[in-house]
Amino acid sequence: MERYQSLEKIGEGTYATVFKGKNRSNGDAVALKEIRLDSEEGAPSTAIREISLMKELRHPNIVRLHDVIHTENKLTLVFEYMDQDLKKYMDQHGNRGALGPIVIKAFMYQLLKGVAFCHDNRVLHRDLKPQNLLINRKGELKLGDFGLARAFGIPVNTFSNEVVTLWYRAPDVLLGSKTYSTSIDIWSAGCIMAEMYLGKPLFAGSNNQDELLKIFKVMGTPTEETWPGVTKLSEYRKDFPYYPPKPLSTVVPMIDTFGMDLLMQMLIYQPQRRITAKDALNHVYFNDIRGYANLQQQQQQQQAAAAAAQVQMGGGGGVPNGQMMGQPSQQQQAVPLSSNTAPPQQIVYQQQQPQQPMAPQHPPLPYQVVQMQQQQIMQQQQQQQQQQQPQHQMPPQSYSQQQQPMHQQY
Amino acid sequence: MSQVKLSLQNALLTLEQLQQTPSREDGITEEQEDHLRQLGCHLIQHAGILLKLPQVAMATGQILFQRFFYQASLRKFAVRDISMGSVFLAAKVEECPIRFLDLVNVFDHLIKKFHRQPLDPMPAYQQTFYTLKDATVVAEMQILKKLSFNVHVQTPYAIMINYLKVLELMDHPIIPQLAWSYLNDGLRTSIYICYQPPTIACSVIWLAAMKENVALPTSPAWWEVLDAKLEDIENIAGHITSLYHRPLPISTLPLTIEQVEPYLRGELNKNASNGSPAAAATASLPSTSIKGTRVSRFS
Ligand SMILES: Nc1ncnc2c1ncn2[C@@H]1O[C@H](COP(=O)(O)OP(=O)(O)OP(=O)(O)O)[C@@H](O)[C@H]1O
Ligand SMILES: [Mg+2]
Repeated sequence: MERYQSLEKIGEGTYATVFKGKNRSNGDAVALKEIRLDSEEGAPSTAIREISLMKELRHPNIVRLHDVIHTENKLTLVFEYMDQDLKKYMDQHGNRGALGPIVIKAFMYQLLKGVAFCHDNRVLHRDLKPQNLLINRKGELKLGDFGLARAFGIPVNTFSNEVVTLWYRAPDVLLGSKTYSTSIDIWSAGCIMAEMYLGKPLFAGSNNQDELLKIFKVMGTPTEETWPGVTKLSEYRKDFPYYPPKPLSTVVPMIDTFGMDLLMQMLIYQPQRRITAKDALNHVYFNDIRGYANLQQQQQQQQAAAAAAQVQMGGGGGVPNGQMMGQPSQQQQAVPLSSNTAPPQQIVYQQQQPQQPMAPQHPPLPYQVVQMQQQQIMQQQQQQQQQQQPQHQMPPQSYSQQQQPMHQQY
Repeated sequence: MSQVKLSLQNALLTLEQLQQTPSREDGITEEQEDHLRQLGCHLIQHAGILLKLPQVAMATGQILFQRFFYQASLRKFAVRDISMGSVFLAAKVEECPIRFLDLVNVFDHLIKKFHRQPLDPMPAYQQTFYTLKDATVVAEMQILKKLSFNVHVQTPYAIMINYLKVLELMDHPIIPQLAWSYLNDGLRTSIYICYQPPTIACSVIWLAAMKENVALPTSPAWWEVLDAKLEDIENIAGHITSLYHRPLPISTLPLTIEQVEPYLRGELNKNASNGSPAAAATASLPSTSIKGTRVSRFS
């Protein structure tokens, strides 16, 4: 362990203890996950899965595994250091645990990016929950704890159904289905999204049966009509109490229309109808974030093209990069983001429309959120001042819309 | 850690890596290495059957065993220990974990058979139990380290079944079973180290259909539709069929590290088969069935 210095303890899991540490050669902070080796079971399956998968999964939204160190009676996994997990973040930064809509959107986008990457690489996480999502000062969110993850082939094998912490466990798994796949991670992601809005878990069951009932009370007890095939699942009981479905918007009232539409598609009973991570990322709820990402990409392409052109022309006295980038602020035009005027059913299918970004800084990172909110307040104040000015100075209508907070319900 | 390229896809080796194995560099001949690899795979397959593991776990175990000995020498690591470690690890990777006691009992039984010793069951808390158990724990960690935890193995079984369906061969009385057995037996060769699962699946179907004189679509050739090259198919088939011309002299091969040096000096045979019939036991192939019940003549 000479390479890493172990500092204070930051987490205790079921089979591991996590310490903050320091890379002695460059001073970088790391997280050291120490796994005791037990002579009764050899190397823990969780560690085998975690290491073998995380070594492969290199993505900005997946915690990087730098190193694995084997000493006599333990394995130490060296991860990039993250400041805290989402659970602690919600407890500390949230309003009674609930987070603001901009932060939630930024986190959900990153969560789904990580999940989509896993699924693209035929890996199921199977244990998504706030404690296993890690956050750093930059506002980045990354998936951690791949102790229950597994690679899947075609067709998907039957797995043990003892996975995913109860509160985030998909109803098909709770009902005994063993042929589940990527859809189980989407259910968990939906539960996490609702939890960030609510400040508390959406379905906090105390055991398998209770977890199912908690779900039924909101989503309605499933029947062959609402979920074809449900009665054939091994844990299905004819005598489940009957609950009618409640509109999800009464349970999570603080979500805006687009967010609600996405949430509803993540929390669909039938696993094969649940939205995929990839489609979720293209959902209109993320339009503003994607708009910014696209813009960045465009700029990079323009820059590359310009650079290439310059090379062809013989290079030399080029324009400094900063000037070639174009001015993002000029391209950004007012787009009503989540105004409530249009019926949601229509809006969801307008994804192909050219999207233009609104917020200059997306994906917004938590520390930026404060800045943005301050800006908004200032802008509103300016607006009010402007309104006191003569009429001809009124900004165009769309401009005034831009100045409104993103989520008017708040 | 080792130099194997990590990937969730099966890592494939170059021809050079295949020929310059650590064992060869350590003075073990090509034939000896082939025998020892086959012995390990034979042990893993039969232990898996007795442990009632799914075939995919046995396949994973054998591929791990094969991969391991591209990173380490058969002079330094015993076939018995690495095959036990491979079964133990494969069972975890495929999510059908097994108990030490069962694993150790099954290996003890198989080893006694190989050496034609009396088959009385091993008392649970005998020294042998602890020796084999400790050897397994050490071997498992050695495999993980030498393979840099690259333990994900893609197997061709499901793909082959899909291809059989596409080719409308699932109802043929012999071909599915025969092709499945070729997949199992092929684990003893280097094909899983050199080719990706879909190509192997095509090859065993090709071989089985040829054996049964069943004509498959030729224009366009069915394997081209499935993205495989005839050259690869023939090569894989050649590796598999050559197995049946190389009987494995099981009782003359070393299982523990102490037996390796005498074996390399040509002296193990005399000690091991002491009091047993002169003719060494040989493995017969194909030895397994889809139901996974038939254990070859050794049990
Ligand atoms: N890279 C990291 N940076 C900072 N903190 C971390 C990091 N990895 C883990 N932690 C902290 O340690 C806790 C436990 O880590 P992890 O979930 O990986 O362990 P675990 O043993 O698998 O836990 P469990 O089995 O209870 O889910 C996390 O919830 C988090 O608070
Ligand atoms: Mg955890």
